[in-house]
Amino acid sequence: MGNKVLVVDDDPDIITFVVTVLEENSYTPLVAKNGEEGMVKIAEERPDLIILDVLMPKQSGIKMYRELKGDESLKNIPVIILSGIAKRTFLRSQEALTEFGSQPVPEPDAYIEKPVEPEELVETIKKLIVE
Amino acid sequence: MSKLLLIDDEKSIVRVLSISLRSDGHDVFTAYSGEEGLDVFRKESPDIVLTDIKMPGMGGIEVLKRVKDLDPDTEVIIITGHGDMHSAIEALQLGASDFINKPVRDEVLAITLKRAEERLLLRQKLREYTEDLENMVRIATEEVRRKSEFQDKLITSSNDGIVATDEKGEIIIFNPGAEKIFGYSRLEVIRKMNVRDLYPPEVAKDFQQRLKQGKIVKGTDWKEFMIPAKDGKIVPAGFSGALLYEKDMVVGSVGFFQDLREIKYLQQELIKSERLAAIGQTVTGLAHYIKNILSGLKGGSYVVNVGLDKNDTGKLKAGWAMVERNVGRVSELVLDLLTYSRERGSELQNCFPNEIAEDVCELMEVKASQNQVEIIREFAPSIGEVHMGADAVHRALLNLVSNSVDACVSDLSMDKEWQVRVKIAFESNEMLKFEVIDSGCGMSEETRKNLFTSFFSTKGGKGTGLGLLVTHKLVEEHGGTIDVTSQLGKGSAFIIRLPYSKADH
Repeated sequence: MGNKVLVVDDDPDIITFVVTVLEENSYTPLVAKNGEEGMVKIAEERPDLIILDVLMPKQSGIKMYRELKGDESLKNIPVIILSGIAKRTFLRSQEALTEFGSQPVPEPDAYIEKPVEPEELVETIKKLIVE
Repeated sequence: MSKLLLIDDEKSIVRVLSISLRSDGHDVFTAYSGEEGLDVFRKESPDIVLTDIKMPGMGGIEVLKRVKDLDPDTEVIIITGHGDMHSAIEALQLGASDFINKPVRDEVLAITLKRAEERLLLRQKLREYTEDLENMVRIATEEVRRKSEFQDKLITSSNDGIVATDEKGEIIIFNPGAEKIFGYSRLEVIRKMNVRDLYPPEVAKDFQQRLKQGKIVKGTDWKEFMIPAKDGKIVPAGFSGALLYEKDMVVGSVGFFQDLREIKYLQQELIKSERLAAIGQTVTGLAHYIKNILSGLKGGSYVVNVGLDKNDTGKLKAGWAMVERNVGRVSELVLDLLTYSRERGSELQNCFPNEIAEDVCELMEVKASQNQVEIIREFAPSIGEVHMGADAVHRALLNLVSNSVDACVSDLSMDKEWQVRVKIAFESNEMLKFEVIDSGCGMSEETRKNLFTSFFSTKGGKGTGLGLLVTHKLVEEHGGTIDVTSQLGKGSAFIIRLPYSKADH
């Protein structure tokens, strides 16, 4: 079995798609449909990489990302943000949160705007998971 | 006392009478023949002439005629011989004031003269009164003319159209402002047209009725009307009218018209530019939404390809479902866009509103239960079959319920029971009330204000911003209303009121 990759997205289509791409490339897919579920899965399974959507109900990707990066034991897990919103907008939201007094967080390891090509996704995962 | 001329060919009579008259204080001139008498008359212009009737040469009757020719106001008294009634009557017919018989007695003469003097005085006074009166009339006329000219100028220079009628509604004043609005020249209208030929029918009818009733009413409030102009164009105008009274009697009417074309034009320009700005926003929102659909389609076809390669039916099914779902989203989007851009109301038909609402609830049930949202149905059971726009009701309700479920799903609060209540009840004999009330995230005042005005989505890439616009349009086309109340963090309530009629069979 290959490396574990956690997909956090509320859109079942994206999950089906990403899971298929991961299976095709010999990764072990894990699935969560919101931030809450995602944090539980991370604690249980310790994935090697996380693919995260930004706009989700219940717990947004922004909040989950800040939690991950603020946790000593989790902050080294590479994160790919896969989102419909532009990278610029996401970074600005992070800056804004920092200005309001939150701890500054590093930029995500990779940022992919939807729609994503399977090849692009696989290339990015390969780069980030160092054996 | 008076200026007198005494004419008689008998010098003794002249002498005796003139002495007597002078002693009474009169200013007396004398002559001994008709001809001489006229000469003196021309020179001295006496007030009273006393003349003998029978004289050689020019007689008294001739003297009378000539004197009356020269000055009709002169009092002429004829002295006649005893019993000569015939001449006396002729003299009176020719304008003599009086006559006395010979021999002339002092007391009779005095009375006759006094009467003549009184007549002179009376005539004098009458002339003075008449002159006074004429003067007063002239001054008053001048004043009236000035005032009416001033009013004419006021009416002519008014930018608003002013139309006045008599009590029958016939037009008597039509100013240049009115010419501009109605397109008729004043010559075509004044005394030739009635309000019913000129005013918009509803105004004309109202006016005629009030004219007939003759009730005292104040001017009407400004109201907007579409005025049919001469060239067939329709001119938007503000109108206010009043009946004119004189001592409680209707004597006519006046209408004031404000040309609203310029304002309307500017308003339309404003709406157009707002629309363009809204379209800018929409294009961004739509692009986002379409990008998501594209994502789903691409992802779906990738999964289908994998399924084909591997002969994996599970993958094939999953991928194909993705493709189908996203094709569905495209057709929804296209339908929304078409509904929004089309100018056509939905068709009316017999339908059961409760069944429509039930269908909507069932459609939303899966998504709702997956997200712990409860859909509660409160349909008044008395609502049976009615005649209304079934498609509009379905689409509007679906949009609202779907929004409410979304509002619950995206609510971040903890330990809350999420509910969407769908209520239908009779509002009146011709109105149905549909309510969709949720306990979701609610919205800010800002969001609430923007709901129906522009393409506006708070759902990121997951909404087109078209749903409520389409709902609003459908409801309006159906002659209904839509209202919203909302409290941030507590939930929202949408109320649609739609007219219906009895089902026809």
